Amino acid sequence: MKVVGKPLPRRDAWDKVTGRTRFIADIPRPGAWFGGAVRSPVARGRLRGLVRDGGFDWSQVVVITAGDLSGPNTVAMIREDLPLLPVDEVAFVGQAVALVAAPDPATLAGALAALRPDIEELPAVLSIEHALRGDRVIWGEDNLIADYTIAPDDMDAFTAAMARGRIIEGVYHTGYQEHIYLEPQGVTATPRPDGGVEILGSLQCPFYVLNALTRALGLERDRLVVRQAPTGGAFGGKEDYPSVIALQAAVLAMASGREVAMIYGRHEDIIASTKRHPSRTIQRTAVAPGGRLLAADIDVVLDAGAFTTLSPVVLSRAILHAAGSYDIPLVRIRGRAVATNTPPNGAFRGFGVPQSIFAAERHMDRIARELGEDPLALRRRSILKPGDALPHGQVLPEGGTAASLVLERAIELSGYENRREEIAAANASATGPERRGIGVSLVHHGAGFTGDGEDKIDAVVHVRGEADGTATVLCSCVEMGQGAETVLPAIAAEALGLPLEAVHYHQPDTGAVPDSGPTVASRTTMVVGKVLVQACGDLAEQALTHGTDAHGTDARAAWSARAAAGEPLVGEGRYEPDSSIRWDQQHHHGDAYQGYAWMATVVETAVDTDTWEIRPERVTVVAEIGKAINPVLCVGQIEGGMLQSLAWAYLEEVRLDGGRYLNDRLATYIIPTCLDAPAYTVKLAEEPSPRGAYGSKGLGELPMNGGAPALAAAVEHALGTAPDFIPMTPDRLLAHLQELQP
Amino acid sequence: MKIVCTVNGQRRELDVRPMRRLLDVLREDLGLTGTKEGCGEGECGACAVHVDGRLMNACQMPVFQAHGRGIVTIEGLGDRDHPDPLQAAFVETGGVQCGFCTPGLLMASRALLNASPQPTETEIREGLAGNLCRCTGYGRVIEAVQLAAGVPVVDAPAPVDGSGLPVPAPDDAVHVLIPDRLDQALADRAAGPCTILAGGTDLMAAFNAGLPVPDRVLDVSCLQELRGIEVTAAGVRIGSATSYSDLIDSPDVTRIWPAMAEAARLVGAPAVQNMGTVGGNLANASPGADLVPALAALAGVVVLVSRQGERRVPVTEFYRGYRDCDCRPDELIAAVDLPTPAPDLRQAFFKAGTRRAQSIARVNLAACARIDGQGSLRDVRLVAGSVAPTIALLPRTTAWLEGRAISAPNLADEAAALAADEITPIDDVRASAAYRRTVLGNLVARFLRG
Repeated sequence: MKVVGKPLPRRDAWDKVTGRTRFIADIPRPGAWFGGAVRSPVARGRLRGLVRDGGFDWSQVVVITAGDLSGPNTVAMIREDLPLLPVDEVAFVGQAVALVAAPDPATLAGALAALRPDIEELPAVLSIEHALRGDRVIWGEDNLIADYTIAPDDMDAFTAAMARGRIIEGVYHTGYQEHIYLEPQGVTATPRPDGGVEILGSLQCPFYVLNALTRALGLERDRLVVRQAPTGGAFGGKEDYPSVIALQAAVLAMASGREVAMIYGRHEDIIASTKRHPSRTIQRTAVAPGGRLLAADIDVVLDAGAFTTLSPVVLSRAILHAAGSYDIPLVRIRGRAVATNTPPNGAFRGFGVPQSIFAAERHMDRIARELGEDPLALRRRSILKPGDALPHGQVLPEGGTAASLVLERAIELSGYENRREEIAAANASATGPERRGIGVSLVHHGAGFTGDGEDKIDAVVHVRGEADGTATVLCSCVEMGQGAETVLPAIAAEALGLPLEAVHYHQPDTGAVPDSGPTVASRTTMVVGKVLVQACGDLAEQALTHGTDAHGTDARAAWSARAAAGEPLVGEGRYEPDSSIRWDQQHHHGDAYQGYAWMATVVETAVDTDTWEIRPERVTVVAEIGKAINPVLCVGQIEGGMLQSLAWAYLEEVRLDGGRYLNDRLATYIIPTCLDAPAYTVKLAEEPSPRGAYGSKGLGELPMNGGAPALAAAVEHALGTAPDFIPMTPDRLLAHLQELQP
Repeated sequence: MKIVCTVNGQRRELDVRPMRRLLDVLREDLGLTGTKEGCGEGECGACAVHVDGRLMNACQMPVFQAHGRGIVTIEGLGDRDHPDPLQAAFVETGGVQCGFCTPGLLMASRALLNASPQPTETEIREGLAGNLCRCTGYGRVIEAVQLAAGVPVVDAPAPVDGSGLPVPAPDDAVHVLIPDRLDQALADRAAGPCTILAGGTDLMAAFNAGLPVPDRVLDVSCLQELRGIEVTAAGVRIGSATSYSDLIDSPDVTRIWPAMAEAARLVGAPAVQNMGTVGGNLANASPGADLVPALAALAGVVVLVSRQGERRVPVTEFYRGYRDCDCRPDELIAAVDLPTPAPDLRQAFFKAGTRRAQSIARVNLAACARIDGQGSLRDVRLVAGSVAPTIALLPRTTAWLEGRAISAPNLADEAAALAADEITPIDDVRASAAYRRTVLGNLVARFLRG
């Protein structure tokens, strides 16, 4: 292959290194107004009204409350429970209760200060435990936003195994995580002469925003356009939230007749935008006298926050990975997403899997501890093999030896076994405060939408032949740092036999590109890339059909001629459902994902036993990702995702007081600096997947799964104990150790 | 206010409200949008630019301070036809992903390589520690800097021909006083209440977060009399407008007062170290200040001046309560004097921060002591930060240690228990009281164990 597999530079790199890339806040918008929100100061309350300060000149601004909305008052996602503006009840701190647009930032600030929501505070539900107790119902009939179970085919055998084996039980907690894409959320909304509105924004999913606008504004699609601006990082944080802020801006734009910009500063971004779901997972494993894993009963609970947003699908993915990468014959998994009076949680790289797989991996370490066995030895003998079935009934393909492959290569590459002994010896004779540890994790991640989700998304991709012989990729998957603007053209270039420079990428725009689905779920390269290959085939075929004799078999010359004549050829690809895939959504049973990527991570860390600071120093990763379309970008994804995963485990913390985030600035929400980052050794392994473009699999989320459990295992190696929760902040680590002391 | 500066080599005469952030003037007035805002409080470095060749955060600098200085932004670093080697290296290694932090990272990388053309990996990490990146995990970025190291660049920022002081405009909403002589500054200070601005690292972040900008601002950054490190046999006088970087870069400070150098090194990251000042750290009176415990432990004396003359207050007596220091309304902090320590004085500064750079202390400790010929501890001074409304002097622990044999059994453990017991810290967003007690004790023990 000429393009695929080559470490070609990013197409957007030069604009970015010279400061020429214009993000949403960089685009001049003369005359535009500024939008903002009045936010609830309480976690739950009855909204009695909005008090306006009589001293403020209200004629110079536009104020919108729920009563001013003409369309359905909803931000449509999976459900329609989240109102654009609350009518009579607020459900979380920071919920927008009124919207304001003003000609300049100072007037906007004045107006926001002169508006006070009149709220009668009500008792709130602020924790998973309280939500489950059910004594105070704030959502539906039982606070359960979603409740799914994956059950073994043979329940009698499961019950018998759980009764027969020794039960090893652990309870694992994971905390919030804020995305901290370096570019905060931002959109502009511009009213159109036809009564519609055009959105330009930093976002992942143009058609999600379009759907939300269509529903809430009651407008036809032909009067709505959503365009993506260059996006300064997203990590899931710009999957669901842009629908909220775009709708707010759209309503203000239509009411004021002005272009309205809503571009957040960091503080407002942290207060208003979604976070990773906190979780509690109970793992109960039945172990045979010889140590064989017989059965597992797993209970995953996610804190959804006050509204549904994407929580049911986050939960679904969480439970589908909750048993980890091991062969346990009989597994039951229950998952619940519970409502609390906290800001709604949303998509974040990994989408529930980092939470459930952290519990699975740490539970393997617990089982090893209880059995007196080395954690690596337990993993080796329990690892999934070709032909084994996952708890949801999906059978791993023959020949799929990736789990063992990545584990063994990571062990070898890191010198894990020797290092583990050396470090243990050094710790035993250490006189200073520093202890070291080394730990391993094995994780996987299913790419693309769950089950028949891709059938429903029905992705379409176009490739247009241009007059100069180049081609343009038209799809709705965005560049947000991960490299779509480079990888998709590379796939098209390979398919069309062109150099990479001869393929363009059209900035996603719902008025100009087809709906190829959202830029989520590690699906862009694998799933959308495959549809793109078809589109390229279609373009070539059309060119040869529609070309003249003069073009012979030169498709490029033919499409050039057609484009020059003003009738460009557009190749179309459409997602082809695979009839061999079986999926039962109701029971979460069947072929959940079209491809799993695998990763083993070895983390070596230092722990300062004076300050209880953790310092990950070396990370070795071996990842099996199918064919690497661009190896440099793949390594960049792994290193970046790995640091996010490690930091989630020891550095990043959101604490709440009465439902209000306490860590709501970059001075208090701590992400790693260059000095905090470990040294990386990353190796890619390639077992091409038949379901992905040129054999590729999804990669973006995989690294988020592996760092946290490996770091926790390393801390356990260093200290002889490790908490069953993350983040392992120095404070919490110290408290945990003090609890263990008699 | 009318100011003159160069931006990317081009002379610019600007008519601006003086307290606007340099960041906003670059982006809004000059259209230089390559400089980004990621936090508005000096944490992320996305707005980093070069000011007279040094890395600074444009969100923490009021634009009037750019007067007479040479500013270089990412747009001035290089373009595709004439790139800086770092730009080419970031493209090649994959050091750029979403691109939002990239301009700041490149400016930090260039400042680093200008100061240290062949940096070690640790120096690279320290040099970039004030620039948060959420995409790359920093691996490809470090590789890019290594790749570009040693490649010569033509980097001669054009000199500025704007001389003299900025010209105030009658409609300036904020009256900014910019004296260039100390006597004028003291007269301005005596003339009425004003907020004193030096490096801006705390104040500008606070203004951006909503603190009202006062009517009258007295800028002390142009007072050469307040800047500099003057070492004599008796000690050192450090001018209040001296930056953390000046301390870090001073071989004398590093050699004679290593605890102070270490404290300065652990403040923020390069851009903040280039901007923030010793006087600012003293006057801001934050309980979490890093430099102040070191100055106190090293027997520093604050030199305050007014039109009435000079007043000297030991750092240990300078604080009256939370964010309250003994600086009178007509006084300026001119300097801090430190005596030359005895050659055998052991000194250390430890910080348990939230991360390894750009970090506010959960607990810090500056500690000094001497061991006499009998092996007994003498001249013990322990000063802790972030455990009380102001610096905490630990008098009981200090008194208990004074004269005690360093080899006494359980000395470190007993001192640790005493120290933990004599503070009454609070729970806050950074740490619990229990953590602060235990860790302060551990740090005292670490010092004693040497």
